[in-house]
Amino acid sequence: MLKYLVILLDDTSTSFCHYDNRKSESRLMPIETLKGGIRFGMMENLMIQFVYPVDALPLEHLKAIETIDHGVIAPSGSPVSADVVVFNDWDTFLKFDYPDMGTFVLRTDSKQLCENPKYLESVLYQVTRLNIVLTDIETMNDEDFEKYDRFLDELRGIMKRLYLKGYQTQCNLITDRIVLDAMNNCNAGTESITLAPNGKFYICPGFYYDGLDAVGSLEDGLDIKNPQLYRLDHAPLCRICEAYHCKRCIWLNQKTTIEVNTPSHEQCVVAHMERNQARLLLNELQDRGIYDKKQEIKEISYLDPFDVKDEW
Amino acid sequence: MEAIIKSQNEQWRSGIAKGITFIVTKDCQLACKYCYLVGKNSKERMPWSIAKQTVDYILDHENDFKEESVIWDFIGGEPFLEIDLIDKICDYIKMEMFRRNHHWFNSYRFSFSTNGINYHEEKIQQFIEKNRNHLSIGITIDGTRQKHDLNRVYKNSERGSYDDVVKNIPLWQFQFPGMGTKVTISSADLPYIKESVLHLFSLGIPEVNINCVFEDVWKEGDDLIFQNQLIELADAIIDNGLYENNVCSFFQEHLGKPLDRKLQNQNWCGAGKMLAVDAAGIFYPCTRFAQYSLRDKKAWIIGNVNEGIDKNKLRGFLTLDRCTQSTKECIDCEVAEGCAWCQGENYDAADTCTAFQRSTAICKMHKARVRANNYYWNKLFRKLELEGIERERANEHVKQPQMKDIC
Repeated sequence: MLKYLVILLDDTSTSFCHYDNRKSESRLMPIETLKGGIRFGMMENLMIQFVYPVDALPLEHLKAIETIDHGVIAPSGSPVSADVVVFNDWDTFLKFDYPDMGTFVLRTDSKQLCENPKYLESVLYQVTRLNIVLTDIETMNDEDFEKYDRFLDELRGIMKRLYLKGYQTQCNLITDRIVLDAMNNCNAGTESITLAPNGKFYICPGFYYDGLDAVGSLEDGLDIKNPQLYRLDHAPLCRICEAYHCKRCIWLNQKTTIEVNTPSHEQCVVAHMERNQARLLLNELQDRGIYDKKQEIKEISYLDPFDVKDEW
Repeated sequence: MEAIIKSQNEQWRSGIAKGITFIVTKDCQLACKYCYLVGKNSKERMPWSIAKQTVDYILDHENDFKEESVIWDFIGGEPFLEIDLIDKICDYIKMEMFRRNHHWFNSYRFSFSTNGINYHEEKIQQFIEKNRNHLSIGITIDGTRQKHDLNRVYKNSERGSYDDVVKNIPLWQFQFPGMGTKVTISSADLPYIKESVLHLFSLGIPEVNINCVFEDVWKEGDDLIFQNQLIELADAIIDNGLYENNVCSFFQEHLGKPLDRKLQNQNWCGAGKMLAVDAAGIFYPCTRFAQYSLRDKKAWIIGNVNEGIDKNKLRGFLTLDRCTQSTKECIDCEVAEGCAWCQGENYDAADTCTAFQRSTAICKMHKARVRANNYYWNKLFRKLELEGIERERANEHVKQPQMKDIC
């Protein structure tokens, strides 16, 4: 069941996920389209998330946005007060003056991430939640996986120090899995849908920016073909998976395997490395009395469920 | 396009053999009216360099091809139009498997589906002689002259090819005794099913592997025509005792039962477990995913001879199961067993770019087949019973199928 409507206010609206937005020319969503999108969200009972560009919006747009309860996703340089602030470079990320509350997203490739775990620590002391989004999962190889695992090992140490000092900072890569007992994925196409500046609906912003087919329009309504394939129960690999925190990125699935319900080897390995480090962190925190001993993440011998599909 | 035929020799390795298909040419002497190859042409012929690179890639990556044995399959168009290239490829394969001490050496077959027109020619006969012990050849003949020539006509002339094919049947059967043929049925063929199958039996072809096309070509009332033809065929086979020495794959004892959601959830099609390569050195999960086979979709490319196989592009195929791709009606169907599908046609006909949407164009034809199949076995078992043969021993008096088709 749909719950969220993501509205891209401009062609240059920031990416907040795995996909890249390479559009550099502004194309503002027409005011009538914006109002139509808000109306659609209200009628379908959807929580609207507005995705902002760096540049300020016209007053008319800001007024329309305020007609509905909503969330704001904005790049770090945007003048708007955002619920989710997105960083696309490390320099801004490290120098940012963090407010007390809010969620922050760091989009980075694995190489830079693995080189900077120490810098990350200073930010993690300042925020309540940090989402780290890898922008190069699809090109990672065995060497990159090794480096990423070493990074996660360091991140685990950072998180342990934070928790032992009484902080309760969340970092999606390692703490989400600890608190989940079922799949909690992106769910684009089932729980969320995106409205682009052209007035058409897309499974997620990545589908719009990659020029993939729309799934309806404000004019004609929503028309998702094969909607079952976006559901977890129609994803043979994911429905038996225990990496509950995995984004299960539909856009990456489509890009790497052609099928929207099938993740790539790289996406599975990354998610399982995170899961396994979450398991170790949980055990360490349990030993220090921070988590209940009843909570358990089981030890597994694989990093890609595809490799053990014969045992299903 | 010739159908893929698996011989009794191939069944020896059924399920554990890797199928590797060379699309050596997209040319054919014929322009069969039901042919699903929409992009046939005389220009795309596989160069030797691509064929060699393909063989080298496959043999270089022995760990990625762990199946116990291999079937090197050559298709077209008409593969025997490229007999010189094929001969060179096969020699190279044998030499390299031996040189590398590859685990497929002496566990391989070369397989061909041909229209049979140039089967008698010297070069082809020399090739057969050279590779006799590792060879399977299926000739496609659709039945009577009338039925065959209805569809299998020469390009540019509309002339039927029956006479040119049937003259080669005795030589083929002499060289490959017991080898069956595969017949493909489309809407216009329905009234000729009975006489065609009986005709093929009379030509000395003991096994007729026959199926309806998966494409959405069926008209209102076709299922009844189909059912009645099969019942007439059942009468002819049983009344004349033909079941002792002949098999028609339309009739299978365990057809038309419900399928268990968990225990019988396997995919039907082998796409993704095979590998097909075209003249440009592009890899596909099966030939049906090459551009010349597709009406509405882009080719499903899984790699090429230079960069190898992108295994991510195979993950969907290798995790496909029956229920995930089927409609609720198909999952709950009470006569589901034996209802087939082609992953390539599913992809081509799907509403989105996916192999996970099962085409149901064949539904009413399958149900008609099940009704006729029930009639066949009820009649046959009763006849045998009246002859004093107990049901448990009935199969000893009925020829069992040797062929196992994978498409």
